[in-house]
Amino acid sequence: MPLDVPSYAFALPDGVDPPALVSFLGTRFDVVSEAAEPLTVTVVDTADRRLREAGVDLSLHGSRAAATLVMREQAGSAPLTAPAGRHRRWLVEDLPDGPLRDHLAPIVEMRALLPLARVRAEVQPLQVRNSDRKTVVRLRLTTHAALVDDGEAVPLTPRLEVAGVLGYPRPLDRLVMVLTTESGLADAPASLADEAIAAAGGDPEGIRSKVRVTLRPDQRTDKAAVAVLRDLAGMVEANLPGTLADLDTEFLHDLRVAVRRSRSVLRELSDAFPAEPLARQREALKWIQSITGPTRDLDVQLLDWGHLLAGVPAERHAALAPVHTLLERHRSSALRTLTRELRGSKFTGTWAAYRAFLDGRLGPARDRPDAKRPIAEVAGGRIAKVYKRMVKAGRAIDDSSPPDDLHDLRKRGKELRYLLEFFGGLWPTDVVKPMVKSLKGLQDVLGTHQDREVQAHNMRDLADDLAGEVGGPEALLVLGVLIDQLEAEQHAARAGFAERFAAFASDDQRKLVARTFS
Amino acid sequence: MKVVATYNIKGGVGKTSAAVNLAALAARDGLRTLLWDLDPQGAASFLFRVRPKVRGGGRKLVRGKSEVADVLRGTDVEGLDLLPADFSYRHMDLVLDESGKPTRRLRKVLAPLADHYDLAVLDCPPSISLVSESVFDAADALLVPLIPSTLTLRTFEQLGGFIDTEVDRRPEIIAFFSMVDRRKRLHREVVESLPDGRTDIARSAIPAATEVELMGVERSPVVVHAPRSRGARAYGELWAEVRGRLDL
Repeated sequence: MPLDVPSYAFALPDGVDPPALVSFLGTRFDVVSEAAEPLTVTVVDTADRRLREAGVDLSLHGSRAAATLVMREQAGSAPLTAPAGRHRRWLVEDLPDGPLRDHLAPIVEMRALLPLARVRAEVQPLQVRNSDRKTVVRLRLTTHAALVDDGEAVPLTPRLEVAGVLGYPRPLDRLVMVLTTESGLADAPASLADEAIAAAGGDPEGIRSKVRVTLRPDQRTDKAAVAVLRDLAGMVEANLPGTLADLDTEFLHDLRVAVRRSRSVLRELSDAFPAEPLARQREALKWIQSITGPTRDLDVQLLDWGHLLAGVPAERHAALAPVHTLLERHRSSALRTLTRELRGSKFTGTWAAYRAFLDGRLGPARDRPDAKRPIAEVAGGRIAKVYKRMVKAGRAIDDSSPPDDLHDLRKRGKELRYLLEFFGGLWPTDVVKPMVKSLKGLQDVLGTHQDREVQAHNMRDLADDLAGEVGGPEALLVLGVLIDQLEAEQHAARAGFAERFAAFASDDQRKLVARTFS
Repeated sequence: MKVVATYNIKGGVGKTSAAVNLAALAARDGLRTLLWDLDPQGAASFLFRVRPKVRGGGRKLVRGKSEVADVLRGTDVEGLDLLPADFSYRHMDLVLDESGKPTRRLRKVLAPLADHYDLAVLDCPPSISLVSESVFDAADALLVPLIPSTLTLRTFEQLGGFIDTEVDRRPEIIAFFSMVDRRKRLHREVVESLPDGRTDIARSAIPAATEVELMGVERSPVVVHAPRSRGARAYGELWAEVRGRLDL
């Protein structure tokens, strides 16, 4: 049942003076204007702009001591507010209990809310009233400027936000008609937050985790591969500062995913690159992946903690506190090592060399057999081949197969997934989409199987350290319950393998893959 | 969505004043709030400058024949919407009596709004009838204004007894002293004689104050047009107490 009230944001074109607009509206409507208030606000969102995606505006108002977070789901809707406290960033647990936190938590999840841009504004609230002197439309006329790092104020387009009042659609329609036809206002091209972020030199869409490169089927494979790799390298660089500052766990996660995907491109399209530099760069990316691994493994353990506890009787939760403390301590230590590595000269040099490899000349094409071949031909061949190998490897898996066999299949699945993500756009969606869906279904069970195996292994490794902790012996007893739970989930995932694999390797799917990609 | 109702068998005791002010304070605190003006006299609707008219009338609304979302009106307080009064509400007892499970009807009308609001405040007409029984069933808490006198306290206790014996889904009862005139000895004595441990009567009391009476002239809650006045401060204290009790 919708209760939404329409709202509009108009940009004031050059030559339309805000006071003149207010005077004009006064000749056509009963308009009450309140005193304009100067305001400095900070745009707040996650690095990947989850709030923007969800249609939510969050901003920080007021001075440090009494700063307030203000959330609006749509222009004109009643804001939700909460004291901001003193934080350089807000994880969900940093927000005080209440409606604002309840609304944001499912959107933000494990990501940190960050200050993304500062705006100095002067906001004039206006109301249109009916013959009962009741407000039937709300307006906010705003002039503002983005405050960039060096203190410079970059003027932004003045805007007029118009929001209806529930149950009074006609006055809103009439006002919008007057504004668009008689005042010449046009829809604002971007939100105020987007405009401010762009003025401060940021990307309004935030840090992407999906590759966005337009490829042609006949494009040279080496050029296509380098375009994808450069996009991925940009993601590594975008996530590096947040990883170093430990703003949230996902900077490191996204950095690692971008490195893993880069390694996959270099491996799958290896014949488009010169052999010796390629081997060196693959080794370099492998090293980055290895130094970032321990912190991520511990992040996964801590992020999964709530889920793990849910399987343990509530009266035993307290006994597990030393396990959590130990995980946090290990994580802090792993992070210290990681940041030392990432700030060190080896990483700086390695990354600069990798960037030079992507930006420089790759050498004569005769030494790189796939370099000049069309990307659709080379990537299609790889998709068909990896798929075929997965089908063969999956068929060989039975109840007696060791866990490593499933792990190997998962790694191949990731290769296929990345190939489809980067190059799938070269083939019809109705072929690629179902293939990705069945692959995702298979990868989900393989992923759970592997993750639970690793987590159970890591938990067992904690046993020695726990023994010496206060409350350690009690924790060890309950740790056994946790490990049993992880193993049960691993077995459940394995039991689901056959069904998911059957869908992935069905006759129809195999024929379709052979017909499309070979 | 939590539901609270301002209720008293008597009229003129400050039910509507409490309903509009507490609803406005809830909205100001960021709770998505709905106020349902169930009184056919439509005083709450008048205070918010909303015409006391429900398309299709009370009968269709209560019987589920009209969409409740279509009759809601936004008020001048951001975050507070109103389900207006309608003169046909004077026959609501009859309409309920003709319906199946009459005491559950109001809860049913509110059900589709549960995801859209954090709090619904029902401003009830003075009576003890099928309407009030339906309100008792829908409400998580009853806010009962009491003008300080020995007789009103007795009536309040009778109400508690009635709810204990006759109502299946017992709402929490929070009474509060209303229209307290400190110049009157009886008012002072009744308010001060309350035992400390008594939890069914709020510690906050609403004074008999000019600015509260002026709401009808200003046509807005006192917490909006005179937020620093004695009356507004008293409603603020009452709201803080109610909010804590309801865990909102």
